[in-house]
This record gives sequence, structure tokens and C-alpha cells, in this order.
Amino acid sequence: MLKIFSRQPVALLALIVIALVVVAGCAPAAQPTAAPPTSAPAATNAPAATNAPAPTTAPAGGATATQPPPTPNGGIIFHSSQFAPVNEAEAMRNVILKDAPMLVDFQPQAAGPFVDIPLAQQKAGKVNIAVLGGQHGDFPAFANAGLLDDVTPLLNKLADRKFPEQYIALGKLGTDKQYYIPWAQATYIMVANKDALQYLPQGADINKLTYEQLTEWAKNAQQGTGQRVLGLPIGPQGLIHRFWQGYLYPAYTGTEVVNFKSADAVKMWTDFKELWKYVNPGSTNYNNMSEPLQSGEVLIAWDHVARLRDALQANPDQYVAFPVPAGPKGRAYMPVLTGLAIPVGGPNRAEAEQLITYLTDPKTQTLVAQNLGFFPVVSGADTSNLPPGVRLEADAIATMQASPDALPALLPLGLGAKGGDWNKVYNDTFQRIVIKGEDIQTVLNEQAALMQGILNETKAKCWPPDPASDGPCQVK
Amino acid sequence: MSAQTNAMRTPLANAEEMPFNAAANKPTLAKTITRLLLYAAAITISLFFLVPIYLIAISAFSPQQAIFAYPKALIPQTLSADTMLFFWNARGVQSALVNSVLVGILALIFSLLVGAPAGYALARFLFRGRDSYKMLILTTRAFPIVILSIPLAVNYIQWNLYDTLWGVAFAHTAMALPTTILVTSSIFIGVSRELEEAAQTLGCNRAQAFIKVALPLALPGLAAAAIFTFVLSWNETFAATILTQRNRTLPALVLAQIADVGAPLPFRYAGGFFLIAPSLIYIFFMRKYLLGMWGQVVK
Repeated sequence: MLKIFSRQPVALLALIVIALVVVAGCAPAAQPTAAPPTSAPAATNAPAATNAPAPTTAPAGGATATQPPPTPNGGIIFHSSQFAPVNEAEAMRNVILKDAPMLVDFQPQAAGPFVDIPLAQQKAGKVNIAVLGGQHGDFPAFANAGLLDDVTPLLNKLADRKFPEQYIALGKLGTDKQYYIPWAQATYIMVANKDALQYLPQGADINKLTYEQLTEWAKNAQQGTGQRVLGLPIGPQGLIHRFWQGYLYPAYTGTEVVNFKSADAVKMWTDFKELWKYVNPGSTNYNNMSEPLQSGEVLIAWDHVARLRDALQANPDQYVAFPVPAGPKGRAYMPVLTGLAIPVGGPNRAEAEQLITYLTDPKTQTLVAQNLGFFPVVSGADTSNLPPGVRLEADAIATMQASPDALPALLPLGLGAKGGDWNKVYNDTFQRIVIKGEDIQTVLNEQAALMQGILNETKAKCWPPDPASDGPCQVK
Repeated sequence: MSAQTNAMRTPLANAEEMPFNAAANKPTLAKTITRLLLYAAAITISLFFLVPIYLIAISAFSPQQAIFAYPKALIPQTLSADTMLFFWNARGVQSALVNSVLVGILALIFSLLVGAPAGYALARFLFRGRDSYKMLILTTRAFPIVILSIPLAVNYIQWNLYDTLWGVAFAHTAMALPTTILVTSSIFIGVSRELEEAAQTLGCNRAQAFIKVALPLALPGLAAAAIFTFVLSWNETFAATILTQRNRTLPALVLAQIADVGAPLPFRYAGGFFLIAPSLIYIFFMRKYLLGMWGQVVK
């Protein structure tokens, strides 16, 4: 027995450990070896030094290693919940930020750390993030913590960008301060595999579908293919709550909130239960529809443009993109918005403002549309030269917005950190009515009470398309 | 097993005088069947682990188009390293690999430096409250780190440990300590106290007896505990994510891609393979030592 452990392996192990410790001590560890893409070549040499956690120094004294740098050695930190997948992050670094007027350290984060890191830095009083980039729903948590600076002066400087009024309003988060500046927009559309077009109901125009026709289409397709080929993103990270909030509800009831438990809503859920018979049962696992579309499990899908893009880009000739269906009250759709904010106490204020100026420049906005498929929020951006897949989406959006019955439904306004609870009300309503088969009116009454509770607590006024209210929005 | 086959052989051999020595064949047949079953079980278990790894590997090395093919080909028609190379060259991946190794080694050293003496004390000395102390050690694992995340990050920033490898290594050390202490204490219990006393009667002082007698005997077990710490550190993502900003470890970087941010399928396969590959290489080189070490620990 002892033979196995005699000197050699132990000595070997010891040797390896010693060697590695020496390496650890000497190497300026942990800096990106790939040089950050930058227009300022001098700066590429710098990051190795400051941010390396020089492991040679004893940690006990507490005076070691990284301190959020006062000067941007690796570039100013752009902390973002957007464009986090590795391919998008690389496009962001190598294409979009390549010509930025300063070195930018683009730090995409998953949802949890995106919120936790700035909050922790704020509590510790050492914020090293210069610019925060997120979607509308990300910001209330920061605003409630007092982390977001009022960027009204910057917005005034950017008056020539001509941001749409309702987007500027969204950026105020229901207050009179401007918490974020619109960055890019997107929405949700439908995509179908061309193989499914043969099942379109007679006389139906794909650009003017109704929910009834969609149901019939899905039914025909099921009979033709033997499969349930309509897909919805109901997976754990899917965005189905926007389908209830911004599509089905406004299309059937004309509102997102006020008519939540009305007779129109009962009709809506009855119709949806019929549609559900032809929805692919795998839908409860889909987080984005690109993948089931590409594998052919799903032939007709609704999702966020960014989550349809891969399928369209991979095979633009195989798919059609088209507007969402219309209900009795119109063709409701939800424009969604990403924004840029500046944290209170963040470093490099001037450069942060320059970065936001750069990112809202029409030329940069064009680049984002071409490479990342998020659409401009400023006037003057040239979208004539888009890659084929993104072109399909842009055309579908344009058709949708130009429809005579188009009904834009805004993202929830003024709910602050309650946005997640709000989404849950809609998703639970779906679960109870459609999956569990509970009585529609009973469920709607109970869920409406929860909804009213959130509205009362946050004192959120009604937002379009609901009629304006004086006090907190009231479910009728 | 051999006792059983012997028992079978005797009555059979006595039953009849058979030509061609069939009696001797029978037990061989039984043996063969047992062996076949054993191999079948081994192969099944191996396949259970190898098939997913194989599928991830071929997907990681397939052209992006092939990944969406349905049904999937079991033998890839074309191979392409494009996705893997994209991943490898993506910003931060290579440095994250270095970070992961360094954090793992630092955590391993700290946890042994602190944990092994504690384990030795638990094994050699009887003191009041020893059992409750053992329980108390385990309670450090009872706090969900999710709740600790922001306060921990705040303290780290204030102590200037934030976004450093030291910081992550300390966090991993804290997580590994309970197991290190309990494992090392059981190892030192296994090393006979009489041997140390014998060494002391032969002229060693206490420290020498420990270093020259107890330590060499315990080393394999200590190495096993150290490897356990390394693996724990390698797999840990939450602390590594929340306590770092620019200096991510590899799993923190890659797991976010696989699980949280919805990277396209090809990149998730590449990321998955990226996480598996180092441990496969490690096991390939370490398996004979590992087997020996665990063998010793079990004894």
C-alpha cells in the first residue's frame, strides 16, 4: 500500500503545487488576453497592471489589488443586461464600440448580477460603473435604490435625436426625473416557416390576420402535418407575459388593465383555450422560438424579434415574418425599449455622457440594427442596408405599425420593482384558466384583486392604451 | 465470489464422471456469465456518462447548421472548430481559465492550511463540546449564499477584496472548510496514535513525530481532501459571479452563457464542452493516483 504513495506521487503533487503557486505569484493574472478592441491603441497595454489582483501582495493588510480604478485603464465600465450572449457581446465590442470616442470595457451580465453588482457597489460607496444599459424593466430596482442619476440635462443636449415622446416618458419611470435615455427598441412579431403557408385559411391575408384566422391556420396545419406546430415561448425564461399584456388583452379588450375581468376578457380566454389545442405542448419549455423553428418542431411562432433573429438569419428564404394578428379591438403590439443610465457616484461622468451620446448617434444606431437586430429610437438612422433576416423583421414591424387597426400597448409604467409580480399575475391567470381549466370569471376576479393590490401599492396610473386615470389605475 | 464458485464446483464434480471434462467447464461458464454481466453493467454505466459527453462534443465541433438538423446524426458528417474557436477567442475566456486554476489552487492551499490542523485537533484531542463544534462547522454551509450575496459583495468592496482572485479564493475556502476539516479529522483518526508515540519514544519530539510519521501516512487522504476543494472551487459559480466584475472564473463566465443569457444553441454546446474538457484531461492524468488515494482513505 505504502508503495503507491511512496515519495514519487506526493513529491510530484508538491512540485506541481509549488510551481503553480510560483506562477500565480509572478503572472499578472486574469486580464483578458485578447486585446479589447479599441481605437485608442495606447490604452490596450494598460489594463494588465491595474486590475490584476497581484497575488504576490499579502491580502491580510487589505490594501491589495483591485480598487475600482479612478481612471479608465481597461476603459470605462459599461454594465449591461443587453447583448450578453457571447456572439452578441463580441459584436458589441468589435463592431459597435470599436469607434467609440473612448475605450469602453463592455461588461454584459446575466439578470441577477446585473442588479446585484451596482447595488452592492452603491452600498459600499464605491461605484466603478460608468454607464448602465438595460431594458425598461431593469431600471425600477435601481431607481428605487436611489442609484440612478437624473439625466435630464443630457437628454436636453440630445434634443436633435428626436426620441419618441412615449419613450422619453417611459424613461421617467413614472416620476418627473429622467432616469434613462432611450437606447434601442424592439417588439414582438410572428414568424412562419414557408411550409406552413399552404395551411393558411382561404381568403386570409398573412399581413392582416385575426386571432380567429390564426386558430384556424393552426388547426389546418395540425390536420395537415399531424403535429401541433404553433409555438409560444412559455418556458422559464420565455417572454409570454408580454403576449398577454401587450397583445391578447389590448386586442380583445382595448386595455391592458382596466378591462382585465370584463366580458371581453372572458371571450378572449375562451378563444385562447381553443387556440391552445393547436399549440405545441413543448411550448412550456421554449425560452426563445428560434431553436424550435430551426429544428422544425414549430412552424408558426410568436416571439421577441431578438429571439427570432437566429432562425431568420440562418435561413431567410425559408421563413416569412409578419404582423401579429388582430382582435376585436385592434392589432395590438408592444414596443419594448432598452435604455442607458448613469449611476449616482459613478466615475468618468464626462465620458459616460460621451458614450451615451455616441450610442444614440444615428450611425451607431444603424450599426446596432445591422449587427444586433435592435431597431433605432432616433430619427435619421439609415436602415436601408440590413442583413436579410433582420430585413424581414423590419418589414414586418413596418407593416404592423402602418396597419390601420394598429394599437400600440406600452410596457407597464410606474410599477417600480413590482414588475415581476405584475407579470406573474398574467402568467398565473393563464396557468389557472388554460392549464388547470379553472372557471374563467372566478380566476379573473381573484387575479384582478391581486392586480389592484399592486396598483394601489405603487400608485401607478393607467398607461396607454388604457384611458388616463387621476389616481392609481382601477380594474373595472 | 470465488468461494461460491468453489462450492458449486464440488457437488457438480462429484455428481458424475463426465467426458471432455465438462464438469470443469460448467463453473467456467458460470464465471463467464458473471463476468459478462459485470462487463455489461460496466459498459452501461460508462455509456450513461459517456453518451451525453459524446453528444455535447460532436455538437460543439459541428458546423452551426448541423446543430439544428433533426433527427441528429450520431456520427457527424462534417466537423468544424469554428464555434469552439469563436468561444476560445471571445474576450475573457482565456483569462477566466487561468483565473479558475489559480483560484482553485489558492482555495486548496488555504483550506488545507486552516482545515488540516483543525482536523488534527479534532482527531487527537478530547475536549468539551467537540461534537457540537463538529456540528457548528457544518452550519457554515447551512446559510444559502444567495441571501449573503449583496452584504458579502459590499464587505468585499470595502475590504478591497472585490474583483480579486484572493477574494474568490477566500469565499471558496470558507465553503470548502467544513468538508476539509471533517475529512482530515477522519484521516488523522485512521493514523494510529501509537505510531506517533512510538516515534516519540525513539527520540522524536511531538512536531517531528507529526511531520515524520503522521503526516506521510495522512498525505494521500489530505491530497484527496485537497482535490475535493479544488473541484468545489472549479464548480462554484455564484460567489465567483457576485464577487467579481472583470476577473471572472471560467464556470462563472461560461455557465452564464449556457444557462442565463440565452446564447444561441451552438455556443451553449461549445460552452458545455469547454467546461467538461479540463476535468476530462485532469481525470485522464490523475486517475491512477486518485484511485490509490481514495483506496487509502476508505481503509
